[in-house]
Amino acid sequence: MIRFLEISNLTLFWYYLATNLTYLAMLIIALKTSAQHQRRLESHRLSWVKDAPMTPPITIIVPAHNEEASIRVAIRNLLELDYPELEIIVVNDGSEDRTLEELREEFCLRRVRAVYIPVTKSAPVRGLYRSDVDSRLVVVDKQSAGSKADAVNAGLNAATSPYVCIVDADSVLERDALLRIMVPVLEDPKRVVAVGGIVRVLNGSELENGQLQRVRLPRKSLEAIQVIEYLRAFLIGREAWAQGNMLMIIAGAFGVFRTDLVRGIGGYRANSMGEDLDLVARLHRHLREKAVDYEIRFVPDPMCWTEAPSDLRSLGRQRARWQKGLLDVLWPNRDMLFRPRYGRIGCFALPYLWLFELFAPVMETVGIMTIILAASLGVLSREFFLQFLIFGYAFATVISMGSVLQEEITYKRYNDWKDVVRLVSYCFLEHFPYRQMHMLWRLQGLWQYLRGDHEWKPLKRKGLATARVE
Amino acid sequence: MGSIFEKLWRLGPAAFVFKAIIAAIVTDGLLLAFIFLRRSYRGRFFVRRDARVFQLRQQWDALISGKLPFERWRNKKFDLRIVEAMALDAFEAAGPEESARLLKFMRTSGLIEKRIFEAQHLKSWRRMRALVALGRTRAPEGVPALAEALRDRHLEIRLAALRGLGRTACPQAAEEILTWVGEWGLQVPALPLQSALIQCCGERPQLLLPFVKQAEGPLREILGRVLGEVATPALGLELLQFVGDEREELRAAAARAMSQIDAGLALDALTELAQDKTWFVRLRAIIGLGRLADPRATPTLLKGLTDSNRLVRLRAAEGLVQFRAVMVPVFEQVVQLRDRYGLHAFLTALENADLRGKLETQLQSSTSMDDEEKSNLQKVLQTGALPRNERPITEETHDSAGLRP
Repeated sequence: MIRFLEISNLTLFWYYLATNLTYLAMLIIALKTSAQHQRRLESHRLSWVKDAPMTPPITIIVPAHNEEASIRVAIRNLLELDYPELEIIVVNDGSEDRTLEELREEFCLRRVRAVYIPVTKSAPVRGLYRSDVDSRLVVVDKQSAGSKADAVNAGLNAATSPYVCIVDADSVLERDALLRIMVPVLEDPKRVVAVGGIVRVLNGSELENGQLQRVRLPRKSLEAIQVIEYLRAFLIGREAWAQGNMLMIIAGAFGVFRTDLVRGIGGYRANSMGEDLDLVARLHRHLREKAVDYEIRFVPDPMCWTEAPSDLRSLGRQRARWQKGLLDVLWPNRDMLFRPRYGRIGCFALPYLWLFELFAPVMETVGIMTIILAASLGVLSREFFLQFLIFGYAFATVISMGSVLQEEITYKRYNDWKDVVRLVSYCFLEHFPYRQMHMLWRLQGLWQYLRGDHEWKPLKRKGLATARVE
Repeated sequence: MGSIFEKLWRLGPAAFVFKAIIAAIVTDGLLLAFIFLRRSYRGRFFVRRDARVFQLRQQWDALISGKLPFERWRNKKFDLRIVEAMALDAFEAAGPEESARLLKFMRTSGLIEKRIFEAQHLKSWRRMRALVALGRTRAPEGVPALAEALRDRHLEIRLAALRGLGRTACPQAAEEILTWVGEWGLQVPALPLQSALIQCCGERPQLLLPFVKQAEGPLREILGRVLGEVATPALGLELLQFVGDEREELRAAAARAMSQIDAGLALDALTELAQDKTWFVRLRAIIGLGRLADPRATPTLLKGLTDSNRLVRLRAAEGLVQFRAVMVPVFEQVVQLRDRYGLHAFLTALENADLRGKLETQLQSSTSMDDEEKSNLQKVLQTGALPRNERPITEETHDSAGLRP
């Protein structure tokens, strides 16, 4: 038993050290990349991109399932976007509420026969509509297949542009977000096949007519902590991985893809639980197998603001679902691990996801239990136990503070002093008990997946119409 | 190196963790201090800057007319930056008269000269910043400095120079870009190059011709594409030589350009290109035929409706719905094709152009067909489905529409 505890503690020590060093390396890479990106932005006048005759058209696909509270605001926001050639396809994914009626009333839809070729698999389409108010808006009304992936596939079938941008119906984009996200594509359209933008927490901010008026930190601690999580995930994680062309996730709420490629790989996997991760993983696989020279990029300045769960139950469900999605993608792609054919994806990105994302809740749980047991049995010195805890706490705080620093030196959306002070405080406070709860939700997700529970449980949402400074 | 690892190892986990705690806490403190110090510095900087912007704006007319001596602000770096930013912002939004006034101000005050000097002598990001500012002025005297930067070894600098040249939109810039790509080959991604050339060659597209003829490989395709965008009727005969080019991109460019020239000259060439083996050449030819809006193009457009590519079908349909005076005969021929996808594309184009009602009315009042035929066509229009049995196209139908080539 004692031998087991010793081995377990040592394993945990090295695991923890490796995790922290990886995060530290990512933070350093991200800070450097951000600084370069800021410099590069100086050579791009967005108005030049807009005026450029060769700027390619984009189709925005908005899957919407029971989004009556948000849909009007979200679509108005998209129609206001600054981009020369735009088509917006809203996919009403068998909504049981008034989503379609809301769209009909707001945008005067009329039934049309827009081009719809079922290249990718999706549930049957009931009708296609075009807006009389703005002809760029098309609505695809389809039966629900119970997944966002299926809805996006229907949108893909109706899309007519060389690039598609997937946007969630509970999100709003900043007016110049599309111009910004297309900058890498315009620079190198042959190599850049997909670009991810940053997703930020909308809760607490002020919206008017679909446009973000004032960014504020949410009042509720649970929402504010998610702000730090999003900053950490996007401004550190994605920024660093994209630097090595190893980006494995483009947020489902906001990303641009080359239409022919997505269609070429059969669109989204309809029964996928983590459809965003799954699509990017399959793109990597497809392009690596064909030995194509490509890049999947992340741009941190085109912003998408989304509503984050505001109660524990919804947040728990969301995080459990993310963990299920992770396993659902990693398991079918296990053959890519350590295969030279898949290059750095197989040798670094996927092993990282297995080790530090998928197994993290298991390792943390086992670790906490064995350390406590070892400390109580005297196998582990109590001083060391305490020191280790303090180190873990202080180091995790450094990473969180690093993400706040990134936000401060680059995009600086929180202008109020009070917001920054609170943001910094949450860097210190998020570790107890939020982090432990998060670990349990992720464990729950794994357990549910292994038990065969693949159900998509709905989250409680307030809707964009209610997004206001409290 | 080995001894360092040895020493670290000898420290044991406890000492290592202790040191790591200290390091982490110090880093936390430093990060915290940096965030708050930077924030308060920036806060003060912006207050100062806003106040100065306000002051300068109050004196704006005196400032740009030169009544306020340039030395008053030009020698202060802080003021110089503000004035330049204000002038460039105003210049980009100004009408012709105001922009001429602002350009004169930027010339006489030495702002452009300063940027030209910086673009020629600075390095790295500073050079890039100067190039962007120079491009924003659209001043022809900036062209040589911008062209020089095209030879920089950093891609970012080359791109900034290229975009800047594009902004000037003058033939002189086009010549510089073309000479550069002629000498150095393709040193930048295709899209920015195409955009810059399209902007610069608009006035004199014939500048491109010798370069297209000489160029090879992907560059030839890119230049061909640009030619397709900027071609004018005057280039008609010159373009015909590209119709049979071995590069599909160039054939597509020729098709694109053909729609800009005289219909008499373009029709045969576009009809030939509409049968091309490459889909995007056919697409361009069909779009070109649609743009010509010539009834003689109808048979080719009808054939385009049965194309294997959906974009070609849709564009052919868009071309066909333009013939508003002969909508019924055209629709009848679309139905006679008995191509479900073609019919679908035609109905889509009809609805997108909001012409469905018009076709319905014309169908009802048509006297060129019997009631049964009329009712069949109305049914097709309403259901979007083809009838099971269809009579072949009659001679009368063609002649009444006057659609025979």
